Amino acid sequence: MSTILELSKKEPEGRVEDPRLLMGKGRYVDDLNFEGQAYMGIVRSPFAHAKIKGIDFSKARSFPDFIAALTGEDLVREGVTTVMQNQWPPQKPAKRYHLAVGKVRFTGEPVAAILVKRKNSLEDLLELVEVDYDPLPAVTTIEESKKGTVLVYEDWGNNLSQNSDEKWGSAEKVIASAPHVISAKEGITRQEAAPMEPHSTLARYRKGDDVYEIYATVQSVHGLRERLASELRMPEKKFHVKVMDMGGGFGSKGAQSYPEPLLACLFSRMTNLPVKWTATRTEEFLEAASGRDQYCDITLACNGEGKIVAIKANLESDVGVTGTQNHMSMLSMWTMLGHYRVPNVEVHMAAYATNKMPIGPVRGAGAPEGCYFIERAMDIMARKIGVDPLELRRRNLMAEKPGKEDHVGLIDALIDRSGYEELVKWKNEINSRYRLQGPSHSNLVAGLGVSSGGRSGFGGDEDQDEGWSSESAGGQASDWSSQGGADQWQQDSQDSGWNSDEKNEGGSSSWRGTADENGGAELDFESEYARVSQDRKGNVTVYTGSSPHGQGIETTFAQLASEELNVPLDKVSVVWGDSVQVPMGIGTFGSRSAVTGGSAVVDACRKLKAQLVDISKGTLVDASANQSELPTIAEVLEKRGLAELSAESIYKVGSMSYSSGIHLCALTLDVDIGKAKIVKYVVVEDCGRIINKKVVEGQLHGGVVHAIGGALLEKLGYDDQGNLLTSTFMDYCIPTPLDTPDVEVYHEATPSADTLNGAKGVGESGTIVGYAAVMNALNDALSNVRPGAQVDLAPATPDSIFAAIAGD
Amino acid sequence: MSGKNIRVAKGDELTVVSVRINGREYRGEVEPRTLLVYFLRDGVNLTGTHVGCDTGHCGACTVIMDGKAVKSCMYLAVQANGAEILTVEGLADGNKLHPIQKAFTENHGLQCGFCTPGLLMSTLALLKENPHPTEADIRRGIEGNLCRCTGYVNVVKSVKAAARVMSEARKECNP
Amino acid sequence: MIPKKFDYYSPGSLQDAIRLLRQNGEAKILAGGQSLLPLMKLRLAAPTTLVDISKLPGLSYIRDDRDYLAIGALVTHDAVEHNGTIKDRFALISDAVARIGDQQVRNLGTIGGSVCHADPAADLPTALLVADTRFVLEGEGGKRTVPARDFFIDFFSTAAGHDEILTELQVPHLPRRSGSAYIKHSLREADFAIANVGTIVTMEEGGKTCREARIGFGSAGPTPLRAASAEQYLRGRPLDEATMAEAAERAIEGASPSSDVHGSREYRLKMIKIMTQRSLGLALSRAGLTGGAD
Repeated sequence: MSTILELSKKEPEGRVEDPRLLMGKGRYVDDLNFEGQAYMGIVRSPFAHAKIKGIDFSKARSFPDFIAALTGEDLVREGVTTVMQNQWPPQKPAKRYHLAVGKVRFTGEPVAAILVKRKNSLEDLLELVEVDYDPLPAVTTIEESKKGTVLVYEDWGNNLSQNSDEKWGSAEKVIASAPHVISAKEGITRQEAAPMEPHSTLARYRKGDDVYEIYATVQSVHGLRERLASELRMPEKKFHVKVMDMGGGFGSKGAQSYPEPLLACLFSRMTNLPVKWTATRTEEFLEAASGRDQYCDITLACNGEGKIVAIKANLESDVGVTGTQNHMSMLSMWTMLGHYRVPNVEVHMAAYATNKMPIGPVRGAGAPEGCYFIERAMDIMARKIGVDPLELRRRNLMAEKPGKEDHVGLIDALIDRSGYEELVKWKNEINSRYRLQGPSHSNLVAGLGVSSGGRSGFGGDEDQDEGWSSESAGGQASDWSSQGGADQWQQDSQDSGWNSDEKNEGGSSSWRGTADENGGAELDFESEYARVSQDRKGNVTVYTGSSPHGQGIETTFAQLASEELNVPLDKVSVVWGDSVQVPMGIGTFGSRSAVTGGSAVVDACRKLKAQLVDISKGTLVDASANQSELPTIAEVLEKRGLAELSAESIYKVGSMSYSSGIHLCALTLDVDIGKAKIVKYVVVEDCGRIINKKVVEGQLHGGVVHAIGGALLEKLGYDDQGNLLTSTFMDYCIPTPLDTPDVEVYHEATPSADTLNGAKGVGESGTIVGYAAVMNALNDALSNVRPGAQVDLAPATPDSIFAAIAGD
Repeated sequence: MSGKNIRVAKGDELTVVSVRINGREYRGEVEPRTLLVYFLRDGVNLTGTHVGCDTGHCGACTVIMDGKAVKSCMYLAVQANGAEILTVEGLADGNKLHPIQKAFTENHGLQCGFCTPGLLMSTLALLKENPHPTEADIRRGIEGNLCRCTGYVNVVKSVKAAARVMSEARKECNP
Repeated sequence: MIPKKFDYYSPGSLQDAIRLLRQNGEAKILAGGQSLLPLMKLRLAAPTTLVDISKLPGLSYIRDDRDYLAIGALVTHDAVEHNGTIKDRFALISDAVARIGDQQVRNLGTIGGSVCHADPAADLPTALLVADTRFVLEGEGGKRTVPARDFFIDFFSTAAGHDEILTELQVPHLPRRSGSAYIKHSLREADFAIANVGTIVTMEEGGKTCREARIGFGSAGPTPLRAASAEQYLRGRPLDEATMAEAAERAIEGASPSSDVHGSREYRLKMIKIMTQRSLGLALSRAGLTGGAD
C-alpha cells in the first residue's frame, strides 16, 4: 500500500498556467476593462440591525460624475426575487433582498448602489448618500438568538433556520453504563475564507441581442448564471458568464448569491454602459460569506477496549442572516459521525440566524468542524483511558476493505515517517525540564497531537450506509428529500402562514444544472460536464465545467487527456470559465474537480477514442479485414471531411470520493505568555491515484496552514452592537511566513473505485483534518501545566491559552 | 504661494508624472491622491501588480523602486515622479523566465497566482541584499507578502532554489 | 481605498516646508507615509494638504556626536536596522526597529515619521522614550529641543507645533556597563503589540548591583510610559530573578491597557509584567558589552 500510484506519463516540471501568472499576464477580473466603463459602489449599513427610514441621493446626484442609483425598492419593483437560498437541506426561507428593504440585518449589508463616471469619485459620492436609520438591538450570539427577543426575520417567529436529528441505537442507555465516558464543549468561531483577490465584477449589457456579458469572481460560471436567471426571472441563455484567472476562492466565491453581479447587470441595462465593481478588503470582510461558527457539546462513550460505543451531541451553529448554501451544519454532523463506526448515536443539530453576514462553505464546508469535534473528543478519551492517541485511533478506525483506504495502515505510515517514537522522547524531555523547580526550570512545554479523517462522502461509505440506515429514524442520511426537517418545515410553514408561491420569493437550487437532453446522467453535485475535441493536427481541447483558481486544473486535466489520448501535453489546452463555450457545469469547490471533472474528462476522451475507432472502421479499413494499427486522427478526419472529432460527457461518479489522512502536529508552548509554536507537522494521506504530485502536496500545504490559522490565529470579532471589529488584515490574522512551519507530506495510495482516474478529492483535506491536530497538540502540552487546563474553542489565541492555564 | 523649489499638485487637477518602469519611460496624468499601484494598473496598463487589501498588509502590490521593495499601494504616484521602478512585467526576458520565476514554477511556489507578482519582487530584493539566505532569513524577507494558497511551504522552497541557481550563475561569471 | 482629495506640495527646502505648514492649518507632513497613507486610504484621516518632506536633503544621517548619537529624522527603519553603531550601542533601538511591519514598510518608513505619528502601541516611541531621546524641532520660531518625556502627549499627539518639523533625534550615549533590550509580545510577528517593553540597565563596577535602570512600555495608555517606581526600586539593588520580578510588579502601576479582540486588559497587564522581566534579563546579559562614556 505504500506505492504511490501516479499517471504513467511524467508530470510536467511546472504548470501550464504558471508562465502567464509569473509574468504578470494573468487576467483577473479587476484587470479587465471595457471602453467607457462606469464604476459601481455600494452603500452599506453601519448598523447590524436597523430600520431604514429613508435614502436620499440628492447630494450625490448634484455632482457631474453621478450617473444612477438603485435601492431595494427598485429591485422589488423590477420583480427581482429575494436572495437565493439552497434547500439542501431545507432551511427556512429568509426574505432578504440584495439591497435591503425595510431593514438591514448585518453590518455592511448593501442598502443602495450608485454608478459613477470615474473610479476616483466613487468613494466621494458614496459618502454623500444619506441613509436614515432607526437602530434596533442586534443579536450576535447563539444564546441571544435562541432567546428570540430580537428576531432577525419577523415572519419566522423565532430565529431557528434549520434543524435535524440523527438517532440510532440507544445512545443514552449505552452511555449510562459505559466504562469510559467523556464530555467536552467544543467550537470554532466565525472565520473568513480570505482569498487574496477580493470579489470583482465587470458587466456589459448587449442591447442588440438582449444578453448580459458578465465577468465575475466565481467558482462556477454556471452557478452564477443560474442564480442571475432565477433572481432576475430571465432565461439562463440571457447571461454569458465568464471568469479567467481567479485569485483563490476557498468557498467564499462559490454558491453564495451576492448583490454585485446582479446590480451590475441592472445598471448596465439601465445606462447602456459597461459596469465595473471591485470590493475593497474591508467590504470583503463585511460581505463575503464566512464560515465555521459551530459549537458542539459532545459526550463520547467507549467500552473497556476503547472502542467507541456511543456518541451523544448537541451541535449549534450561527448562520448569520443565512447563506445561499446551508449544508455546513449537516456536513459537520456527518463528518463527526462518519469516520468511525458508531453503533449508538443521538445528535441534535440546530442552526440559528443572527445579525451577521451570511454563513458560507469556507474550505471544508462543515467537515473541518465535524472532524474537529470527534477528533478532539478522541484525544480527551485517550487521556482518560490512559491510551496513546494513535493507539485509540487504531482500535477504532475501520479495517482495510478491498478498494477502500487502509486507515489503519495510515497510522503505521505516520509512526514510521514522522519518527513518532523520537518525537515522544523529545516531548517528554521538554516537559520534564518544565517540571523541575529551581534554576533549571523552563517555561516551555511540548505537545503532540494527531487527527485522522477526511470528508465523508455524501453517498457514504458502504459500511457507513449500513450504520446510517439500520435504525435511523429518517431513512438514509444521504437522502436529502426525506429529511425529518423537511416535514417539519411544512408544518411550520403552515403555522406561520409562509406560502411557497408567494411572489418575489427567492429561487432555490438543489445543485441541479441543466439535465442532459438525451436523457443521460443528470448534472448534479456528483457529476461534471466535459467535452473533448481533437482537430486534424491532433490538437486537443478540453472543455470543462470545473473552474480552477489555483488548483492547477489547466495542467492536471491536460495531463489526463494527454494520457488517455496519447498526445503530448503541449498539444492539449483546457477551456473553462465561459458559460457559452462550456454550456453546462457545476464548478470547482468541495474537493470535487479531480473527482468529477477529471472523470468527465477521461470519459469524454474514451468516447472520443471510441468514435475514432468507429469512424476509422468505415473509412479506411474493410470491416472484415484485420486491423493491426489505427489510422491517425489526421488521416481519419481528412478522409471523412471533418474538421474535428468531439465527444461530451456528463459523468456521474459512483460516489463522491475524498482523500483521507492522518496528521501529526508537534508544538512547544511558552507557558508564561500562552504562545504556541509548531515545530513539526506531518501529513500521511491517501488521495488515490495522483495526477500531479506537486499540485496535491500544494493543496495539502495550503489546507494545513489554513487550519493552523483557524486553530491559533483567526477570529471574526464582534462588539455587543454587532459591529464587526475585524475588517482588515491587521485585525483578522491570517498566517504569515513567520507563523507557519514546514509541512511534510507522505503518500499512500488506494485508487478510488468510483472515479475514472482513481483520484480522490484533496483540496480541503488539509483543513479538514488540521484543526484537531493542532488543538490536540496544544492541549497535550497544556496537560503538563495544570491538570484540567484545556482549550476547546478555536482559535486558541495566547490570551485564551493563558486563561486556561490560570484556570479562569 | 510657491517658493522656487516647490512642486505643487492641486487636488482638483491632474498633474503629469514621469516614471521609468522596466527600463521604459512612461508619462501619465494623475490626481495627487492616485496611489502608485493604480497608476501602474490603470494609468499605464501594467496589471501584473495587484491590489489585495486596503491597509498595506498583503504585499500583492510590491514593486521595486529605486532598488528597494516597496508596497505601491502605500506610495503616491506623484511621489514616484522621476523614480526607477521594476514591476513583475520587467522580470522575464521576452518569454525567457527570470531564474526566480523559473524556480517558482519548478517548485510549485504559486497556485492562484494573485500574490505571486508581489512575492517575486520581494524575493528579488531579498536575494540582492542577501544572496545566501537561511530559511529564517527567507521567511522574514517575505513577511510582508501574504498568501492563502500555498501555506508558504513551496514558496520557501522556490526562494531557496532561486538563491542556489543565482549564486551558481554568479560563480560562473566570476570564477 | 482611495483617499479624499488633497493638495500636494513637495518643497525643496526645510524652510519652504515650514512655511507651507504655517500657511495651511490643515496640512500634514508626509515622510515615509507608511502610517499616514493607510489612515488616509481608510478615510480615517483626510488632510486637505500634504507637505512631502521625504526627499528633503540633509535630514538622513547617523552621526556620532560626543555625547549622543544624532539620527536624522528621515533615516528609514531599514537603515536604522542595519546600522552597526546602533546595533552595538543601542540594542533596544535595533530590537525595536526590527519588529516594525515588514521589509517593504521598513524600506520607506522613517524614524521621524514613526515618532511623530505617536502611536503608543508602536515600537520606536517606547524604545526612544526609554533611551531618553531628545527631539530637535524646527519651526517658524526657530529650533528647539524637547526631551522624550515631554514629547509624547496623547494618542497620536506630540508636543510639536503645527508648523514644526522634527529634524533630528539625539540619543544620549549609554554609560559603561550598560545593556539594553526591547521585547514585543504580539499575536503574529508583525502585529501591533499586546505588550512591548524596553529596558536599559547600567551596572556598578563588579557587575552585581544596578546603578540605574530605565524601563518603559507602550500599549498601556495614550502614550508610552516610563515605569518610575520600578526604576526607583532597582537602583542600588542586585539584579536577579527576584528583584526583576518585583520591578515588573511595580512596572504596571501606571499601566492602563484596554481590552480588545487580541487580549483582555488583565492578560495585557500580566504580559507587560512578563515582558519587563524578560527585557531586563536580556538587557542584563548584554551589559558590559556596551561601551560609552561614564
